[in-house]
Amino acid sequence: MVLRIRLARFGNKHNPFFNIIVAQARTARGAKPLEVIGTYNPIPKRPTNLYNENADARPYKEIALDSSRAKYWLGVGAQPSDPVWKLMGMVSRSLFLSTRVYNGLGTA
Amino acid sequence: MAPRVQTRVSNALLPYLTSTSISSLPSSSSQCLSRQFSVTAASQTKLRRQMFEWLSTDGAELKHHIPGETNYVTRLKDSPMSATRPFPNNPNFVSESVLSEELRNEVYTRVVEEKKSVRAVSMDLGIDMKRIGAVVRLVELEKRQREQGKHLALPYARAIHEMIPTTPLAPPGERQTYHEPINDLPAHPLTGAQIFYPVSESRPFNRVEAGRVFSSAPALEHHEAAEIGHPSDLAEKIIEDPRAIGWVGKGNNARQILQPADVRIPHPHMVALERDHIAHPNERRAVAERQTKRLERQDAAEQQRRERAQARREKKLQTFTPENSRFEYRIQETVYTKETTGADGRAPWAVGRRYGVPHRDRTRGEVKIPTRVEA
Repeated sequence: MVLRIRLARFGNKHNPFFNIIVAQARTARGAKPLEVIGTYNPIPKRPTNLYNENADARPYKEIALDSSRAKYWLGVGAQPSDPVWKLMGMVSRSLFLSTRVYNGLGTA
Repeated sequence: MAPRVQTRVSNALLPYLTSTSISSLPSSSSQCLSRQFSVTAASQTKLRRQMFEWLSTDGAELKHHIPGETNYVTRLKDSPMSATRPFPNNPNFVSESVLSEELRNEVYTRVVEEKKSVRAVSMDLGIDMKRIGAVVRLVELEKRQREQGKHLALPYARAIHEMIPTTPLAPPGERQTYHEPINDLPAHPLTGAQIFYPVSESRPFNRVEAGRVFSSAPALEHHEAAEIGHPSDLAEKIIEDPRAIGWVGKGNNARQILQPADVRIPHPHMVALERDHIAHPNERRAVAERQTKRLERQDAAEQQRRERAQARREKKLQTFTPENSRFEYRIQETVYTKETTGADGRAPWAVGRRYGVPHRDRTRGEVKIPTRVEA
């Protein structure tokens, strides 16, 4: 069976929260996974402690990921779902490249 | 159906029509007539009448305030306390003064423009360090709103400031009156316990030792205790290196040893200054120089600590800002191992939501209001 790295929804109505999990593709969303490798909170939070220099800071969303476990599971053939693919893309870019490169504004 | 509601409404709302509407009522609704509302005007209650009487006689004096003075009811009694006691029946309530406009701006100038440390400004102006932080943030907000051309409620602020006690800024060269006590320390919950702790007479037992007893830490070795001349000597060491505070307990129960009040107060160096003054009454300049050096050392240590903490936070937290998105993504590297999630992956301290454990957010007594703000 195919291994997938996907999101598992937690939280109440209108208050989603996701665990990033490794599971068999055909198991239920809420079933116990093989492993939890991260979390994703899609509710944006407003930054606090704003001063003049960071007054226009954007609201932020939190991602937590164990990148070494993610690499391992990718290495043994786990397939990320589309949302997880997107999140992993952001994580890898923030780890290995500067934002300017990703946005095509300049070189590292 | 009988026009029950209509007749009632017309009678209640339009009393001047009553006579006509009653005469034109159909006979079928005669049953309802007994339940009609009274149309005579309700007489004023005694208290209400007395209130208006008071407003036109004694109370008329309070109608316009005298700028710069409080306008409390207690003023009518002409008691010496009346300027600060708003409630005549509650003499224990004292209305505290607020920062005046000039003092507030002075705080901002010193902290932001002259780059003085919050600690030093707090000591100079006699304002709590937390309040200094709040003043700086609020003045900054006000400046930002001015830049954005937003309307400020200035007439309101001016009127309120005229009517409440304020702490003025001392003219240059004069000593600033303290706005509030700045070295207050809330009682630590650990000190609430009543402990019977026998100590041999040959052993010194001071605030340092008492803190250790309260946090059930073993007593200091004799040579260690002998090194501490006065509990306030510890303060400088601990401010420069907070890791000098020992720990008791293991794992989740580990906690820092309760330090003496001399260390925990907001301005421990003030104790050191006073002791220096008493020890060397004739060396004012030398004492002042030592104090300046002490403050500089502390500020440098704190600055260094803050930078280290910031660097640690930045190292741990990566951000990613997509170009065409309203949001920023904060990415935190975590480790999911047996140690961090427990043997079965369900440890309560593990990151992420847990499997097979009921979510307790709706249980009775669960506090859902956030108790702190994440930076």
